[in-house]
Amino acid sequence: MPIGQRVAIVGGGHNALITAFYLAKGGFKPLVLERREIVGGGAITEEFHPGFRASTLAHTVGPLSAAVARDLQLEKFDFEILRPDPRVFAPRPDGQSLLFQNDTARTAANIARLSEKDAAKYAQFAASLEELSGFFTQLCSITPPAIDTPTPEDLWNLFKTGRGVRSLGKRGIFDLLRWGPMAVADFASEFFETELLRAVIAARGIFGTALGPWSAGSTAVLLLRAAVDHHPAGPAAFPRGGLGSLTRALADAAKQAGAEIRTNAEVQHIRAKNGAVTGVVLTGGEEIAIEAVVSGADPKRTFFKLLDPTQLDPTFALRVRNFRAAGTVAKVNLALNGLPVFSALDSAEGSLNTLSGRIHIGPEIDYLERAFDASKYGEFSTAPYLDVTIPTILDAPMAPDGKHVLSAYVQFAPFKVAAAPAPPAAASEKPARSGAAEKSNLHAPIEKSESNWSARRKDLGDVVVKTLAAYAPNLPDLIEHMQVITPHDLETSYGFTGGHIFHGELALDQLFTMRPVLDWARYKTPIRGLYLCGSGTHPGNGLTGLSGANAAREIIRDLR
Amino acid sequence: MGQHYDVVVIGGGHNGLVNAAYLAKAGKKVLALERRHVLGGAAVTEEIIPGFLFSECSYVVSLLRPEIIRELDLPRHGLEILPLDGTFTPMLGGNHLWRMNDHARTQREIRRHSRVDAEAYDEFSKTMTPMCRFVKPLLSMIPPDPTTLKPADLKQLHFLMQRFRSLSSEERYTLVQLMTMSAADFLDQWFETDVLKATMSASGIIGTFLGIRSPGTAYVLLHHYMGEIDGAFRSWGFSRGGTGAISNAIADAAREAGVEIRTQAPVAKILVKSGRTCGVALQSGEEISANVVSSSVDPHLTFEKFIDSSELPSDFLEGVRRYKYRGSSGKVNLALDALPDFKCLPGAGAHLRGAISISPSIDYMERAYDDAKYGNFSRRPYIDMVIPSLTDPSVAPPGKHVMSCFVQYAPYKLATGTWDDQREAFGDTVINTIAEHAPNIKKIVTGRQILTPLDLEREFGLTQGNIFQGELSLEQLFFLRPVPGWAYYRTPIDNLYMCGSATHPGGGIMGAPGRIASQVILKDWKGSKASRSRRSKN
Repeated sequence: MPIGQRVAIVGGGHNALITAFYLAKGGFKPLVLERREIVGGGAITEEFHPGFRASTLAHTVGPLSAAVARDLQLEKFDFEILRPDPRVFAPRPDGQSLLFQNDTARTAANIARLSEKDAAKYAQFAASLEELSGFFTQLCSITPPAIDTPTPEDLWNLFKTGRGVRSLGKRGIFDLLRWGPMAVADFASEFFETELLRAVIAARGIFGTALGPWSAGSTAVLLLRAAVDHHPAGPAAFPRGGLGSLTRALADAAKQAGAEIRTNAEVQHIRAKNGAVTGVVLTGGEEIAIEAVVSGADPKRTFFKLLDPTQLDPTFALRVRNFRAAGTVAKVNLALNGLPVFSALDSAEGSLNTLSGRIHIGPEIDYLERAFDASKYGEFSTAPYLDVTIPTILDAPMAPDGKHVLSAYVQFAPFKVAAAPAPPAAASEKPARSGAAEKSNLHAPIEKSESNWSARRKDLGDVVVKTLAAYAPNLPDLIEHMQVITPHDLETSYGFTGGHIFHGELALDQLFTMRPVLDWARYKTPIRGLYLCGSGTHPGNGLTGLSGANAAREIIRDLR
Repeated sequence: MGQHYDVVVIGGGHNGLVNAAYLAKAGKKVLALERRHVLGGAAVTEEIIPGFLFSECSYVVSLLRPEIIRELDLPRHGLEILPLDGTFTPMLGGNHLWRMNDHARTQREIRRHSRVDAEAYDEFSKTMTPMCRFVKPLLSMIPPDPTTLKPADLKQLHFLMQRFRSLSSEERYTLVQLMTMSAADFLDQWFETDVLKATMSASGIIGTFLGIRSPGTAYVLLHHYMGEIDGAFRSWGFSRGGTGAISNAIADAAREAGVEIRTQAPVAKILVKSGRTCGVALQSGEEISANVVSSSVDPHLTFEKFIDSSELPSDFLEGVRRYKYRGSSGKVNLALDALPDFKCLPGAGAHLRGAISISPSIDYMERAYDDAKYGNFSRRPYIDMVIPSLTDPSVAPPGKHVMSCFVQYAPYKLATGTWDDQREAFGDTVINTIAEHAPNIKKIVTGRQILTPLDLEREFGLTQGNIFQGELSLEQLFFLRPVPGWAYYRTPIDNLYMCGSATHPGGGIMGAPGRIASQVILKDWKGSKASRSRRSKN
């Protein structure tokens, strides 16, 4: 196929934009088609209440893989990352708390207040994560090998990977083999005795997944996430102006490289004939004849909604159908007229810095596990695990003077929720002035679909406020507006099938050569000219851009 | 110092006896030592209540390796396996699910619940068969060391890779899923009938501290499925005279091969001189010298109780301490003077002759697990019951019956209280749970034996009451079982070997660990000392 050929890219999420950038660099003419008026997909900044702007969904960077960041040179597009230190503040209801700083020694000193033994182990733990992350970074940036007919590059990659493994040494290799399938609760307690510390570590293994800390395989998720940031408590990095400025910068980089980006251009249908792509149809009827289409959408949407499934071989269709993508995450954004005061923090000025990173609510392994239990029976947790940020501390312009935005990931909230109202414990004591939840300003839904969530939305918001109030008693009185984004909203408004923020479960059977499905983990699809570049492909570990970068590499090779 | 032996085998369980038998057949002078007054370890039959013979712990058999039955000629030594026909799952709604060995009837039965599932059931068996075929040879092989570049290990790894690559894409897909998924997720892809999925996934949690929704349980499902496929004659069955009869048949074969077996001979210490074992010391103080000691008890007892920690490298010891047991099941054996009468299918029909599984729904199973996660025994446990006296009248007085109930979950570590004061409450919970389906149970129970995880530990030497001598979780299988780097039946102590369920391929009445271990021992015996020390330096 000729260089300079046009390639349509469905969706303007971060992976799609990165693919567009590399395709443009590779001499193609990518055309990004974004349904909404802004690009960004799950990484956007929106005004959710007059004067209050928030990273409505994703609220920290993955972070972006170093290689991708280097290639795109985002700093050229007035993109600035704020790196709070401490990264994570983990309070306990009893007023105890734990601070995770960038510096290992200082963090160890904080831990020493709870356990000398754990403080001693912390450095060793950080070290082994760092060691393994090297190997995983490498693994995340290669294309999963073809099992039957490995290409020379596959073999070279396997050789490099093999060397990477061997460099871990005998013990390292066995640790790797043991840890992968392990429950993250076991993993954490292999090193630490302090519940709070264990819980913060374990949380990273269950974030965004349908796993509890006692679910086997959750350690693999943790290691996968550690590939891009090996800090034991995980990353805390906010783009100035919210996640929207990341994707805005990505878009600028792509444009400068030569990509065309059209917003308000919803792809309704991907045309295929005799197993090959012939074009895309936009809402409103416009047709674009094109022979190469890259989908940034999740596999299920791509193959069952955008494509005519009858084009698919039944086995492949069955595997895609079996791809597990039942979301467990909800998002609550609060517009506050003041800064919440955490009882675990004494001095106000000290607390400002302390709260500038991520705030981990989930003091014990069992707390996290119970939060997970509820979701197994179609209920959301009455005491959820929360990953909270107050971006306005470092980025004041996000809210009116003196006011703040609090943004919380809520787990667990099952995509299919029971119609029954939450148990009294959750529904009771309605916090002040949070009634505005219903008119939370979500953008136009992709499709209408019924769900119990419309009835449960406010219950969920109230549970979150109630949970936070146990740590910051003054919070309920500060709330000017509450936006609740349920898993159902994630499907209808953001286009995540099943409401899964990673486009599909991060489970051992859905990673690497199995992501999204065995035999088709190399960004190509059974439809000639149709490719995948979203989180539903390897490695799919959050906002790292690696899926997009890997996909571009394969697409360019394939189209040339 | 008493008599001298070539090999002393610690523990008279089925693996210990298998190990001893093979070594004796190879001409070694072998002594097998059993702590209790009866042989068999957890594969034992005892008359706890006069006239009633209980298969106290292990109660059904299917995985016993055919080569062992053949090579030790066990049928001649009295082994007789009686078929266990089907699985009956009562439901509270008045309905039931009854799967039989007769495939056609099972299909008709499943069709009552779902036409789709009836057809899927066929496909499912067709798909599982090659999976079992793939795994079976692994059950008889010494796990390779994935960290070395030794030709032998590389050859084995290559062999595995080639086997995997020789599978069709379909088979690979299923195999990968079986190795990584949860039993519930795996079955969800096949079936829609809740009770069917619940009952099938139950075999995925046996002996683990996992729920049916925990990844890794699909493998245990396969582990138990393997018995089922090889035609009716080796589907799950009873041994005539109770499970103890299996151990006795093996013991008989061992004695015939020249093994000397001593019961009530509890070991106190494994004697080690300069990194090499030279025998054992009994609690009686008697010392027995031997060139080789082969331990069929679990790593905790072998390395933390019988051996002074100063004799062992610290990283190995760390691995031993890290090895997870976490018993999660108990056993209730009942003496009945009549048969249980199930509300959903009254009468003493053939449905009582197979396994009776209290596993009405996925959520029921998962909630049972939730209780255990927080340190309580399940308020509504999963129960797998059999009534061997219907198939083998010799185990109960005329007209009377024994019912064997495997109960999960019963966590070894309780959040409140001790098992000694919870034991009766546990027994009552089991009876009450059964009574919900068969109300007459309370009237017909004339005696009961309750085995909590604590009892399994005390009575049968199963650390933390784990029936498999350690969890069958992915991180404790194959070359990781029991200790990474030491999955080859050898230990850091020269001439000391492991041959119990804590080694690959793990638990169940399989005998494979005992057999493979004997091969390793004999190989080393022939092989130069050099090869031995090279291995133990790993």
